Amino acid sequence: MDISEKLPSRPDAIPAFVQEFLNKLKTLQLTNDELFDIKLCLNEALINAMKHGHQFDPRLFVEVRAQVKDDRLIIEVKDQGQGFDLKKFPNPTDTANLYKYSGRGVFLIKKLMDEVEHFDCGRGIKMVKFLKNMGGKT
Amino acid sequence: MKIREENRNGTVICFLEGEININNSPELRKTFDGIIGRNEKKVIVDFSAVSYIDSSGLATLIEMFQRLKKIGGRMRFSNMEQKIKNVFEITKLHKLFEIFDTQEGALKDF
Repeated sequence: MDISEKLPSRPDAIPAFVQEFLNKLKTLQLTNDELFDIKLCLNEALINAMKHGHQFDPRLFVEVRAQVKDDRLIIEVKDQGQGFDLKKFPNPTDTANLYKYSGRGVFLIKKLMDEVEHFDCGRGIKMVKFLKNMGGKT
Repeated sequence: MKIREENRNGTVICFLEGEININNSPELRKTFDGIIGRNEKKVIVDFSAVSYIDSSGLATLIEMFQRLKKIGGRMRFSNMEQKIKNVFEITKLHKLFEIFDTQEGALKDF
């Protein structure tokens, strides 16, 4: 399974795109928990790319690539923005930050995916999920 | 997302159905605008039919929690399925919000 798609930086384009993405994973027979995690992380990565990378400019497109390799699903989301330094992001679970409205997207991705790395100066995020029924350790 | 309100002995129970995400968070905010505008002080959000929540949904709930607090009100959550509850636990927001397994539990001593 290989996916390579682009979508405009409009939040209303996200639900249909993510649903179609999940439909393409059906043959993998993932658990509901895995599907929930993948859905949430893909959503958060798309929102971050559209918001921070493109300021929701619909003329700019977010690239999504995905493939299954051995026991893992690898998803890459990339924008055309300025990139950002992840070290600047405060921990949203610190007591002082609990009331803040933003800053939870990347945190959730790091918690729900098995491996996460940024590339291209923070313009891209690579997320890896080990798939249980394909022997992936979790 | 569908939103339905019920008033039970002075407590507003807000039943949410479907997904709480970046696209429908404004609708949720509008519902809370009405609740706060009526000066309601006790609000329970029932999650039994909520299948998904993203960080935008969490942000909207934090905003509403703070607005209610400012007018001396309180907000409780009930009936979350485990995956939804996990999102609150991972982000430690279960420390901020009062989360109950059942609606009866949320109504008790409110």
